[in-house]
Amino acid sequence: MTECIFAFGQCLEGKLHPASLEILTPLREVADRLNKRLILIGLTDDKEKFLAIPELKKLLADEVWCIAHPNLKHLPDDLCERVFVYLASEHKPYGIFFPATKKGLSVAPRVAGSLQAGLCAHVNAFEIKDGNLFLLRPTYGENIIAKLTSRTLSIIATVALNAFPIKEAKKEPLIKELKLPEGFDWSTKLTIKNFKPAKKEPSRLSVAKVVVAGGMGLKSKENFQMLFELAKILNAEVGGTRPAVHAGWVEAERMIGVSGVSVRPKLYLAFGISGAIQHTVGMEGSEFIVSINIDKEAPMMKMAHVGFVCDAPSFLKALLRKLKAKD
Amino acid sequence: MGRIVVCIKGVPKPGTVKVDKETHTLRRESAELILNPPDRSALEVALRLKDQANFEVIAISMGPPNMVPLLQKVYALGVDDLYLISDRAFAGSDTLATSRILARVLSLLSPFDLVVMGARSIDGETGQVPPETASLLKLPSITYVKEIRFVDGKFVAIREDDFGEEEVEFPSPAVVSIVPEIDYVRPPSLKRLLSLKEITPKILTNAELNLDEASIGLSGSPTQVADVFEKSFVSRGEIFEGEPDELAEKLIEILKEKGFLA
Amino acid sequence: MLIEFPLKEEHKIMIELIKEIGGTYIKPYSLEWDEKEAYDATPIKALAQADLFGLIIPKEYGGLGFGTFEMCLAVEWLSYFCAGVSTTYAASFLGAYPILLFGSKEQKERYLPSIAKGEKLCAFALTEPQAGSDAFAIKTTAKKYGDFYILNGIKQWITNGGIADIYIVIALTDPAKGARGASAFIVEKGDPGFVVGKKEKKLGLRASITTDLIFNDCRIPKERVIAKEGMGFMVALKTLDYARCGAGAQALGIAQAALEVSLKHAKTRVQFGQPVYQFQAVSHTFAEMAMRLTSARALVYSVCQYIYSGAKDFSGASAMAKSFATDQAMWITERAIQMMGGYGYMMDYPVQKFFRDAKCLQIYEGTNEIQRNVIARELAKWIKV
Repeated sequence: MTECIFAFGQCLEGKLHPASLEILTPLREVADRLNKRLILIGLTDDKEKFLAIPELKKLLADEVWCIAHPNLKHLPDDLCERVFVYLASEHKPYGIFFPATKKGLSVAPRVAGSLQAGLCAHVNAFEIKDGNLFLLRPTYGENIIAKLTSRTLSIIATVALNAFPIKEAKKEPLIKELKLPEGFDWSTKLTIKNFKPAKKEPSRLSVAKVVVAGGMGLKSKENFQMLFELAKILNAEVGGTRPAVHAGWVEAERMIGVSGVSVRPKLYLAFGISGAIQHTVGMEGSEFIVSINIDKEAPMMKMAHVGFVCDAPSFLKALLRKLKAKD
Repeated sequence: MGRIVVCIKGVPKPGTVKVDKETHTLRRESAELILNPPDRSALEVALRLKDQANFEVIAISMGPPNMVPLLQKVYALGVDDLYLISDRAFAGSDTLATSRILARVLSLLSPFDLVVMGARSIDGETGQVPPETASLLKLPSITYVKEIRFVDGKFVAIREDDFGEEEVEFPSPAVVSIVPEIDYVRPPSLKRLLSLKEITPKILTNAELNLDEASIGLSGSPTQVADVFEKSFVSRGEIFEGEPDELAEKLIEILKEKGFLA
Repeated sequence: MLIEFPLKEEHKIMIELIKEIGGTYIKPYSLEWDEKEAYDATPIKALAQADLFGLIIPKEYGGLGFGTFEMCLAVEWLSYFCAGVSTTYAASFLGAYPILLFGSKEQKERYLPSIAKGEKLCAFALTEPQAGSDAFAIKTTAKKYGDFYILNGIKQWITNGGIADIYIVIALTDPAKGARGASAFIVEKGDPGFVVGKKEKKLGLRASITTDLIFNDCRIPKERVIAKEGMGFMVALKTLDYARCGAGAQALGIAQAALEVSLKHAKTRVQFGQPVYQFQAVSHTFAEMAMRLTSARALVYSVCQYIYSGAKDFSGASAMAKSFATDQAMWITERAIQMMGGYGYMMDYPVQKFFRDAKCLQIYEGTNEIQRNVIARELAKWIKV
């Protein structure tokens, strides 16, 4: 009892979502430090296909439990909830963790609601103190990280995407099929009539090697547009902060930060971005950060490898002029 | 006539939010409030169903008294009734406590066919309330919906999933959450704007909802903020000051050195 | 600008709404529509949902029951964002006026509610290839056969052709009777024998659609005649009297936008060590622009008030409002380009669009030369010799 930690293994058509593998990295450490068994729970309609997934043998969990039933094909939220609520009542896990995928964000709250348990969202760091687990997440507005704790067990949380790398285990986990009891209710109220797999590739911004981004320090949409010119010259992608998106200067698909895109480019140029936590969590993994800001004390200036104290629009205009002259 | 309840939230305009230093929750009274942008999409989806199949649309919102002007603007978009759920006892609620409050209000407003909410709020950004409220009410939840069709008395949602796009048929009543960006949202109606002064939302306090104080507000929230700390950045790089021209020149030099520019 | 004309609360609310609509549905796209000559139904849908197509439709038919003054305010502010969109909007009222002013109860009940909801757009068709300023030279005929009229002919350069559902067509029922020989008809999209020609390529107002209308034994029920046979030119001219202020209002919106953009540029563009606004050649030009725009605005709205006060005969007044305001808009937009120099000439900047849009206003709804004929004719009535 409370000796295990569950992690949701989200899969479709025999493929595990990479986020389910990512979250095992910090959970492995947590499990080791708190002396718990880490178990990946895979829900699927096709047991054979699931058990044949190559990544299974190398993932960081102690055990992998495969729960199979035809109704689980599209992972309907109400059925997934029922499965996890059953597992929670049977095994009383210390924690249940879901990746912050759309599925994870849809199922975790239902599980928490049913169990009347606390639910922390978009956790991007874990801390252990005196045998207690704390969940860290960036919080609104100011440059603040909130350290959250749940007064109820199981601790339920969704783990931020792209916050952890995928690591491989040295030891193969114990893989087995878990059969649920005879009378288990496998029904779902949802009928999937049609499914169109995504045709579009992952956002070019999320995989870009060079990112030029702008914030409110650019002062106007016209100024922000200059970033697109710069991006052409540097072969970069353009990103923006949430306030810039809200002001209508750039489309929402280019928002970098919590619930936006996470980037890990080789070069990140930040124009007029103060560096609010909601934004920096989306780019702090960048290899070389350059910040241009009129405020020397702005957090982004401190985070940057090189900072230029300057009014962002003027700097950008001068930079463009010089780069174009060199052609 | 069917009924749709839309749950909306007033959020601080990005860039104007303040955090209470003691409880580490948002100081909502002080901020400039705007309608949570995904909720505008939620309202649009509900109003399209009203246009199409004559549903009654009720907007409810949990928030402080300064939400009233925002609710009046929501009236101008075309809703039939407005409720403000406001009580000091609700302040500091996490998503579970909030879901309990909304679930109680929704029970009072039943029967209804659909509950529509924005997929997430731009302040808390958890996206948890729609599914959590649904599970407390023992109703199905359908998240990240772009469009809802009402055909032959049945609801079908087109939703975004991690692996693609799904068409889901579901029974009513159900809870649906709408993605922030949909193709079009309508403007307010001039007729309604001209009669705005006469519009007041009905207010629901805990006297009407009768919720156990231990289940709401800070005391009803299992997730607690143990600590907050500023992410401190120790300046790790060089800072240059000067005229735009010379600074731009310096950056070009650095980028060349590092191989980002030929 | 330098004068704030007092406005009632309801007018302020309406203007705020139009600014919101302009900012959301029009401003981000107007240059693109102009470049691609594209008609986008989205702003029209937004205007419909905002109740703005019901502005001058009486309340009993689902409208707001306002008058010319409010319509001019709406048209002015829409034109500030894009005159192409305001043309689609204003031209629909041009087509609705005959029904409003002369329609029978049945016709009003049949058409006005869906016009007020913005479900159906209107168009007004008088001009023909050989009949522009000389409106009496129209040749389209409407012959009565039992319970029907059969229309034959071509109407040229009709705004909203193809996107309108309701077309007011002026056709000859009795060529021998000259000025009393025409009648006004309501033709609906889908009436047999009625087709719409190709979309014209225009210098400006490119977000609005202009086409020919072709009537080839077009058959319509006899109930579609407005008022009665012989009233055609009367219906047309009275309609144009009312609509002229709208064209004047369009000119105000375009001129205001041009003035603001060029003024902002003049204050920030630095040459010879200072913003160019500091040079008198420039600042005096802006002073002149402001005077002309403000006087045009005062004239347009005075005429609106005059109409509102119940004036029976306001042809001369509305002709003055139309020709003066549209001439000023042309002058102001041309100067605005000049004040912006090279930036004024480049298609990436909006000022050149204002200039091209303004030009059409001096021509349509009666050329400014014809307007002067009207003014002169009315003026002559004042002095008895």
